[in-house]
Amino acid sequence: MTAPTQGLLAVVLALAAAVGFGISGYRVWRLYRYMRLGRDEDRTDQPARRLRDELVIYLGQSKLFKRPYLVRGIAHALIFWGFLVITLGTVDLLLNGIFGIHVPGTETGLFAWTIDLFAIAVLGSIALAVVRRLFFRPPRMHVAAGGYAILALIGVLMLSLLVFESAGIAAELVKKGFTPPPLAGLFAPVVRGPYAEALFTGAWWVHVLTVLGFAAYLPHTKHLHIVTTLPNVLFRSQRPRGALRPIPDLEEQESFGAATLRDLSWKQHLDGYTCTECGRCSDQCPALATGKPLDPQKIVLDLRDLLLREGDALMRDPQATGTPPAHQSDLKPEELFACTTCAACVEACPVTIEHVDKIVDMRRFLTMMESAAPPEAQRALQNIERAGNPWGEPREARADWAEGLGIPTFAERPDAEYLYFVGCAASYDRRNQRVAKALAEILTSAGLSFAILGREETCNGDPARRIGNEYLWQMQAQANIETFDRYTVRKVIASCPHCFNTIANEFPQLGGKYEVVHALTLVDELIRDGRITMTRESGGADEVTAYHDPCYLGRHNQIYDAPRDVMDAVPGVQRVEIEPHARERGFCCGAGGGRMWMEEQVGQRVNHRRIDQLRAAQAGATKVASGCPFCLIMLEEGVGAKGLQEQVQPVDVLELVADRLVGRSEGVTQP
Amino acid sequence: MKLLVCVKQVPDSTVRVKVAADKRTIVTEGITWAISPYDEYAIELALEHKDADPGTTVSVVTLGPARARDALRQALAMGCDDAMLVTGAGAETLGGLATARALAKVIEEARPDLVLCGKQASDDDQGLVGQALAETLGWPHVAIVTKFTSVTGGTEIWREVEGGHEVWKAAGPAVLTVQKSEKDPRYPSLPGIMKAKKKEIPEKDVSSLIPDLASPGLEIISLEPPPVRKAGRVMKDGDVKAMAAELAKLLRDEAKVV
Repeated sequence: MTAPTQGLLAVVLALAAAVGFGISGYRVWRLYRYMRLGRDEDRTDQPARRLRDELVIYLGQSKLFKRPYLVRGIAHALIFWGFLVITLGTVDLLLNGIFGIHVPGTETGLFAWTIDLFAIAVLGSIALAVVRRLFFRPPRMHVAAGGYAILALIGVLMLSLLVFESAGIAAELVKKGFTPPPLAGLFAPVVRGPYAEALFTGAWWVHVLTVLGFAAYLPHTKHLHIVTTLPNVLFRSQRPRGALRPIPDLEEQESFGAATLRDLSWKQHLDGYTCTECGRCSDQCPALATGKPLDPQKIVLDLRDLLLREGDALMRDPQATGTPPAHQSDLKPEELFACTTCAACVEACPVTIEHVDKIVDMRRFLTMMESAAPPEAQRALQNIERAGNPWGEPREARADWAEGLGIPTFAERPDAEYLYFVGCAASYDRRNQRVAKALAEILTSAGLSFAILGREETCNGDPARRIGNEYLWQMQAQANIETFDRYTVRKVIASCPHCFNTIANEFPQLGGKYEVVHALTLVDELIRDGRITMTRESGGADEVTAYHDPCYLGRHNQIYDAPRDVMDAVPGVQRVEIEPHARERGFCCGAGGGRMWMEEQVGQRVNHRRIDQLRAAQAGATKVASGCPFCLIMLEEGVGAKGLQEQVQPVDVLELVADRLVGRSEGVTQP
Repeated sequence: MKLLVCVKQVPDSTVRVKVAADKRTIVTEGITWAISPYDEYAIELALEHKDADPGTTVSVVTLGPARARDALRQALAMGCDDAMLVTGAGAETLGGLATARALAKVIEEARPDLVLCGKQASDDDQGLVGQALAETLGWPHVAIVTKFTSVTGGTEIWREVEGGHEVWKAAGPAVLTVQKSEKDPRYPSLPGIMKAKKKEIPEKDVSSLIPDLASPGLEIISLEPPPVRKAGRVMKDGDVKAMAAELAKLLRDEAKVV
């Protein structure tokens, strides 16, 4: 259809376009300058994976289809894909209106069909979105007028498109060689008549001007995500999720962590522009769910709002520091220290925002610059410094659990193939010592050559790093790396997911590169290879056992199947899930991020909520198995506090295996 | 205000102390050393005063072997302004009274307004040095202090007593021996640690302060660890009545508590 813009009207349209895109461009330019106040960070490594993410997460909208958001996800994807096609049509309209030219391909039937189908699909999705906001608003969603404005604008766009198309067909304005829009054509007879051409002109202008208004308005709203999601996905972190960002040359720095907005990276600011305020992160947050002051979405938005408030002042004066993000009026240190770093928010975010990194960067500032970590956290840090473990147990007692078990140390057996890195929990916590013994027994039964470091082992620093003391983490990690290298360790087994994550994903940042395996992954392999033989315990029904996903195995390291496979291989164990909080949606036990050593006095305890979920799943579990010493401590505490000791018994999956080993020597796994 | 804190480096509370083969000393190899906990509270009290009044300077002094320098670094990292190490041959084994005399020399030279010590060191728990120091200096001494503030004409000092506290006033310089107070000693900030690393710590030879290290001499004759506790017993299986009878018998005959 030829645009109704002959002569002067084309100039008017060109001016309108200049104004619309000018307003939009100015805002985007300012936002870009604010963003660049952030420190540099290279996000161009692994280009192939970035391209794949762009195709899958951005174009494919993959993260939108997660349970329990499937229907809304499909509606969103339809709007998004419709937008892509319709944008092409819009470009064509503007070019045609101003310069009288067409984008190649817009004359085809394929284009005509897609644009029409999508226009109707988008209208349907808009209706769904409006109905949802009006009548079925989820509590997490805070609906602002802007949201309706955008929906209305999109609605007007689609309606005016369909109206001018059908009126254009009715007035026989379809150009030669162009396929008439097939669905709009169905309505053509309705509008046929003397006013068809006027209707076409009116609707056409409404459509085009709405497009320009939309362009001007967009960057002032959360709907900027339409644009920023593209770079935000492209530049998402390609580090393993469990690895925090290292601070290089720590001793040369003068400021640590996010002391100012300039200390957050440009990508962290881009996250703020990209937030769609959908609230999926908040939905999944264990701290928020149990009444803590933390809300991951609020953290992202608070940082964005601070940048918008102070961006101008910071740009005017390069020396200005502005308000420290952790001290802005909206954000309290208690919020930051309530985080268990479980990454449920990161997993849930459809636009790949990195919440945990921001929280840790602000914790780094509070802990290292201001010594403002909670007192119990500081005690844990001091204990790590002085005793090499967060509990402050004697350094010399680290290997007491292994006494008399015939487990060699590397000093005694330097040619051992594997190092078993026991970790502080299994070294000192009486309950978890039984897990360490179980693993030792399994490894021995499988004929694996392994040794421990004994008293030479020290905390790898995971809690220190997550509380925000990067310095202490580097010292602890470095000390372990030196010990590993002295014995030329190559392969490491960890029974603690936190040890596993730190050694596998974070030690390489300091040059410590080893082949690291979590005990359950290894045991899974050993079972497959037939190196472990188990026997069913005497008679009785199968033990119904629920699996609890530790965050640092699951979400942080995508180890979901190995522990389940191990459980399925254990005779007499029937595995069940804690639905719907299993796998990617597993609910934290409350101990991560250094929370193990901090008081939890606000709201419900996270571990108690986990026990509630276990009971609510009604899977009939008499045991709940995990693969993490902290989960085990938390589950035991939760079961104890709720008086459920008789009904549910927390165990480690390793214990299930060890209990059924053939030729098991009685008494070794018992204290 | 010029404050001076005397600290002692002791085995950290997480260390399992073992008696050495000579039965007179402890095994020091490979153990972690730390500032004695009450001394840390003394530092915290001084630093709180500095927080409230930035004109305050806090000096820290220790007497001990070369490794005691680490305790001073820790104190500097917490926020003390300067530090001095009194060391040299014999410093490690110096008795409490001689230590007080040597420290008194340092204090006479530094002329602080107040001297703070922990109420006792966590290694030998003698609680002698602070009081002996006041005596040697001829200064007043207030013990079990939890708080102090500058007031017109001197310092108001709070000391803990059974069920409450007393408030004292010192018109001139005094020695305070400090009790555990509500606020835990601060955790050093990283910039604090970095600054402390670069600070010069001057040294004084202990023999230049006191001519006779040995006198008046106290000697440790022997050290003995507490007796090893016997393992507990769990009664698990069996007839409840029989177990109860057995328990009563054990409590009467073996534990001798009923």
